[in-house]
Amino acid sequence: MSIPVQERAVGRRPRQNFETWSWFFMRVSGLVLVFLALAHFSITHLVHDVTKTNSGFVSTRWNNPLWRIFDWSLLALGLMHGVNGVRMITDDYVRSPGKRAATKAVLYGATFTMFMYGTFTIVSFTPYHGH
Amino acid sequence: MSGATESKAPGPYGKSSVYQGRSGQWAFVLHRITGFLVFMFLLLHVVDVSLINYRGGRLYNEVHQLYGNIFLRMFEVGLLFGLLYHALNGLRIVMIDFFPGAVRSQKNLWSIVLGLSLLGTVIGGVIIVKPFFTGS
Repeated sequence: MSIPVQERAVGRRPRQNFETWSWFFMRVSGLVLVFLALAHFSITHLVHDVTKTNSGFVSTRWNNPLWRIFDWSLLALGLMHGVNGVRMITDDYVRSPGKRAATKAVLYGATFTMFMYGTFTIVSFTPYHGH
Repeated sequence: MSGATESKAPGPYGKSSVYQGRSGQWAFVLHRITGFLVFMFLLLHVVDVSLINYRGGRLYNEVHQLYGNIFLRMFEVGLLFGLLYHALNGLRIVMIDFFPGAVRSQKNLWSIVLGLSLLGTVIGGVIIVKPFFTGS
């Protein structure tokens, strides 16, 4: 007794493994990042000259919690989108299992460290007086 | 043929692992390179922004002034191209994934992606580099 092929193909969706979710995450986070990253770059390089974005500029912006949420979202999504992209690049080019594991250990370690450090920077900053 | 020699057997595109440098290959390669470099920049950017919490922001300001010199302004123009290309080509990929009919015009879509990225980089590049010469 075997399951008819046609019934299997029609009645069941393909298995959704990690790579399926990885593919979906890259599309969704990518769409959000198009807006977040380009808006961020425009504000800090085109609307304002880069030399004007000093600590006073950051203080004024981060006085508003919505900008902290904006920047933290960019940090978190950018790092997750980036680490998943470099993971795929590693799988493509680093073929030996030992080197692959080592590369990924460094990649995940560096990403996690930068995520914690960046989160700490955004959360712990105290705006200056006079705004 | 088997074993070690098998990997050297010519594939459908000859001995090379690239498919003859067609536009799809370059779209893919450029997507990887720009993505990787933007990620590396993001790691660096977390560190330079974190300086805001040292010595009342003075350390941040001292390091930040470097971004105004011409070499780092050129670097910022490069970053703009990386962001624009990766964003627009990403939209092209999403479009092809969710609307499979778009694959028929992927080549034209890539030309649009590349054209808009270069146009945006030139316009943004003028805005970024100009203050170095006018001093404003």
